[in-house]
Amino acid sequence: MLELDALTVRYPDFTGCYALTVPRGALCAVIGPSGGGKTTMLHAIAGFEPVSGGALRFAGQNLLPLPPAGRPCSLLFQDHNLFPHLTAAQNVGLGLKPGLSLTAAERTAVEDALAAVDLADEATRLPGELSGGQRQRVALARALVMRRPLLLLDEPFGALDPGLRKAMISLTDRLRREHGLTVVMTIHTPADIAEAADLVVFVADGAVQHVAPPAALLRPGHSPALDAFMGV
Amino acid sequence: MPGAAALPHPGLIAAGFLAALIMAALAGLSSAGGTATLMPSPYLWGVVRGAAWQAALSTALSLLLGTALALALTRRASFPGRRLLMAVITAATVAPTIVIIFGLIAMFGRSAPLPALAASLGLTVPAIYGLHGIVLAHVVMNAPLVARVLMAAFAATPAEQARLGQMLRFSPLDCLRHLDGPVIRREWPGLAAFIFLLCFTSFAVVLSLGGGPANATLEVAIYQALKLDVDFARAASIALLQILLSLAFVLAFSAIGARLPDAPGQTRGQPRPDAGSRPLFWLDGAVITGAMLLIAPVVLSVLSGLGQLLSLLGADVARAALTSALLAAIAAGLAVLLALLLASAAEAAPLGRASPGRARLIDLAVLALLGLPPFALVTGLFVLLRGTGSLSGIGLVLVPLINALMALPFVYRLLAPPLRQSAERHGRLSASLGLSGLAHLRIVAWPVLRRPLMAALALGAALSMGDFGVIALFGGGDLITLPYLMAERMGAYRLAEAGAIALVLVATATALTFLADRA
Repeated sequence: MLELDALTVRYPDFTGCYALTVPRGALCAVIGPSGGGKTTMLHAIAGFEPVSGGALRFAGQNLLPLPPAGRPCSLLFQDHNLFPHLTAAQNVGLGLKPGLSLTAAERTAVEDALAAVDLADEATRLPGELSGGQRQRVALARALVMRRPLLLLDEPFGALDPGLRKAMISLTDRLRREHGLTVVMTIHTPADIAEAADLVVFVADGAVQHVAPPAALLRPGHSPALDAFMGV
Repeated sequence: MPGAAALPHPGLIAAGFLAALIMAALAGLSSAGGTATLMPSPYLWGVVRGAAWQAALSTALSLLLGTALALALTRRASFPGRRLLMAVITAATVAPTIVIIFGLIAMFGRSAPLPALAASLGLTVPAIYGLHGIVLAHVVMNAPLVARVLMAAFAATPAEQARLGQMLRFSPLDCLRHLDGPVIRREWPGLAAFIFLLCFTSFAVVLSLGGGPANATLEVAIYQALKLDVDFARAASIALLQILLSLAFVLAFSAIGARLPDAPGQTRGQPRPDAGSRPLFWLDGAVITGAMLLIAPVVLSVLSGLGQLLSLLGADVARAALTSALLAAIAAGLAVLLALLLASAAEAAPLGRASPGRARLIDLAVLALLGLPPFALVTGLFVLLRGTGSLSGIGLVLVPLINALMALPFVYRLLAPPLRQSAERHGRLSASLGLSGLAHLRIVAWPVLRRPLMAALALGAALSMGDFGVIALFGGGDLITLPYLMAERMGAYRLAEAGAIALVLVATATALTFLADRA
């Protein structure tokens, strides 16, 4: 279980204070207006934002004292997830050993992860030679080899075509079930997530405003702010 | 631009003007009498070999020290005195050559504090004059440039990559390999070409610190042919040799993919996965301390001029300052105009679709301008113009003209990238809105170019103000600039007064740079 209890991030012009509980193995979609604090929340969970108060626990463990590398989570950004001078396989290999001197078993793990995201044939390509969707799948493969139970995705498929976006979400959903991951992802188009998500979270003004299953939350009339965001 | 197709682009006119100017100068020079030789003498080949070795050494050491400094300062985002260090580094990148020379002589010269201290301890320190003195001066001038360019490039890498490094538990070695290495590999070739050409054609440093004919450059040989041998045709043939060698060098470098290094931009903080490493902490401390021991005294030695500032109130200094300011203003304006025209010629394809080939060609031609021999040019043009006016009258035209040419590669670096970006981002939009001519300039170009233009003007003025090249040949009589006056005072061993002038020069150049950064 992922628990955010008044987790507070403070900047001169922005304050985020988040309260949220995500059951283990759930897929939680975060929606909300730009600038409302979605990314800040993910970065605070991953350890990239200075937290000034509150609590953050995963499976009962307090995450706040841990550095980003010590936390049980991996984070996918919208862009720049890969190092442009390394091949797809090397980028995945970084998740195992940053020095890239991999054992035979580790190389097999990299191949398996690339196969799991349907990129077995692109292992030796550089990121510049891959499409946007393929690059994000390489990043997903790296998250898989890192074997961290909490997967955070920050609008990872926002720049992709609608069909590809749906395919990537069902891929993420499949990987979550196969590997028992807890997934929190921010998303731009709520309709994409309606089928896969267990929970939808509406974040605005630096706080979690509503949490509910998609059928309940994505229905018009839930709240004026949500209706305004959804355009109904 | 429909309808305007019949006229050549102004940038091409500017390029033609430059080419005609260079050819006219060389023709004028070789027509003035003397012994032209197409085949360089063994002596000249010796000069070329020596200068190439000196330049290679200067370049390698500048790159190493500058890169170590950039890495250390990038990893240490805040410590007491960091702003002061950055100010010293900025000052060193714009300090006039004559001031660096003055600083080195003030620190390491015969009666300077360091050798005196060593002597009192029973040690003998080799004199500053010689190859090591030249290389030291070049490193003090260029390592800070390397540091600034690389720090800006490090800061421009996506923050996501640094965060990835944190998440993936990168060791310091991994950081060097995956975060910094690619940036260094991308920036080094261009920086190396830039610094090598500067050092290969170096003049004032080699003449002042070379310590004799064993160390020379072609630039010094041209100066000697003109001033000592009064053999104009010989100067012209050496000038041609230098131009051809510089062109060949630039072409060779372009073949391996080097590009003109971008001017350093703003640097901002980045999360560093390796900031917590203990050994790196000590290494960075050592690098920063070492670099500062090398750079700071040379820059700060001008502070010795503080006590003599009042002596500057004399009429000759005020006049020289006024002359310098006037010449610098003309040169800066001309350099910026030429740079703008050339940079826009690279973008002059229809619908804002930049033609990479033409842009690259113009970039390379501008880089090759670093190899232009100012003495040969100015003398050749003087030969053509003599009889049309008084010596100082002609000088008032030629000095800013040549200074503008010398400043052009530096100024171009500031203007070309933003112009290119603006064309890429807004070219189609402007075309679809029918924005062209003055409206385009006011609404689209000016907001993007305002800052770089101010920075370019300031840099052009700072470079011209501190120039001690052409003026060494041309100055005197009515035409006396601050660097010329400073060299005179140094020659007369009135070092404190020279220091006071150096202080004014460095303060002006640094103030101009900081103003430009905040424009």
